[in-house]
Amino acid sequence: MASTSRTILICSGKGGVGKTTLTANLGIALARLGLRTVVLDADFGLRNLDLLLGLENRIVFTAQEVLAESCRLEQALVKHKQEPNLALLPAGNPRMLEWLKPEDMQTIAGMLEKQFDYVLIDCPAGIEDGFKNAVAAAKEAIVITTPEVSAVRDADRVIGLLNTHGVKPVQLVLNRVRPKMMASQEMLAVDDVTDILALPLLGLVLEDEQVIVSTNRGEPLTLNGSSSPAARAYGNVARRLQGDDVPLIDPSKEGRGLRAKVRRLMQKKIF
Amino acid sequence: MAADQNSGLLQRLVLPPIKQAHWKDTLPDQLQRLRPGSLNLISHHWQMRCRDLSSLIKLLQGEGFRIASFHTQEPLTAISAQALGLPVQLLESDPMASDATPSDDSGDQSSDTKPDCTTQLRLHRGTLRAGEQIETAGDLLVLGDVNPGANVAAAGDVMIWGRLRGIAHAGRDGDRAAKVVALQLRPLQLRIADQVARGPDDRPQPGLAEEARIDANEIVIEPANPRLRARMSVPATD
Repeated sequence: MASTSRTILICSGKGGVGKTTLTANLGIALARLGLRTVVLDADFGLRNLDLLLGLENRIVFTAQEVLAESCRLEQALVKHKQEPNLALLPAGNPRMLEWLKPEDMQTIAGMLEKQFDYVLIDCPAGIEDGFKNAVAAAKEAIVITTPEVSAVRDADRVIGLLNTHGVKPVQLVLNRVRPKMMASQEMLAVDDVTDILALPLLGLVLEDEQVIVSTNRGEPLTLNGSSSPAARAYGNVARRLQGDDVPLIDPSKEGRGLRAKVRRLMQKKIF
Repeated sequence: MAADQNSGLLQRLVLPPIKQAHWKDTLPDQLQRLRPGSLNLISHHWQMRCRDLSSLIKLLQGEGFRIASFHTQEPLTAISAQALGLPVQLLESDPMASDATPSDDSGDQSSDTKPDCTTQLRLHRGTLRAGEQIETAGDLLVLGDVNPGANVAAAGDVMIWGRLRGIAHAGRDGDRAAKVVALQLRPLQLRIADQVARGPDDRPQPGLAEEARIDANEIVIEPANPRLRARMSVPATD
């Protein structure tokens, strides 16, 4: 329904922390919940959301053609093969040098909001023009980060910019969590990250080799009902977005260590 | 346009209204009427992208000016300015109308008597995140955290009702009696006047506000005590 449509920007600041993977998996997971979902790839220069979804060879038009009115929106939308509730709209192609303005992104998002329950925007890394374009169209945002100082610092900067743009609510997904490294204090603890970023935690995704496999295959983990830790986490993020009260996983339970010991160690500040 | 010189307070550079003239044309004239140093830049409704802004900054720096604070009414300009690391303030109304007229006595900047705190206190609500900056000519009070990568500076005291984990500079213009107070004082770096210190590495004690000040040419950190004035030297206690 257009009135309840949600436009969510998925951003991180730093590259390679899992924006596109989250967008693809969340898109599939929401679609599997029966919600009409579209993923908009705003990272047109280095676009690869289509790769992750296995839709690369089916792209004919992009949002740019829609804006130029050389095709209809329906023609540019690429429907997912197995999950008809999910569609992909690439914002542009990598060869394009002249690019859209923030207003164009707003127009596109406005068109999509009429047809879909969820519009997920895959934001490019960085905080330059690509980010400004993507953020112009967003109403709310998910910031994804990994438990590394650099990723957390960049996420913090992005959250500041999102506030300047009046995007809210902003929620946090912590990606590539390694319980063992957290337990041995080689990695920032969950508390350390949420302490700095001060955002509600929407999901914890464990480090999972299956993610790489699924990326290379072009089949997001959530698609085939995989029970791998990351697939479960993405599914939970989707349900929490829908308002379900799904408890967060406890990284210490997922690992081998003694829970009490880990919790004590997690108090230790690294910042 | 108006290019006031106020003794004691920062000079102000106001860009002309968009319809009258382009700032690029009026700038050389305006700068001639100011003396090189720090200034407050007020850009009103000019929409400036990073490129315009950095050329403006370059122009100013070439003439020996430094932007102490940047005021604009354009969100876009504010974002560009923030991206360039300028201490930016987004104004909703006309700064000329709302700005309190500075007091005339030029002697009030001497280190003995602090300027009137009620007019000189700058209040910031909310967390300062990485890359954000605040600078003020008076005292600064932040209601929220100062995260790593954020930067706060004040000519007077810096007070943080929250956790200080970024960089704080009190007594920016040389006031060695200035201090930094925070509920949790774990800055990356602390500066008071011309002294610089790294933050402590050990874990903070919970529930104990701390203050940093200069004692015998060194920055010391101790539990904040509201009864002690910054000027009094207090024997360190454990």
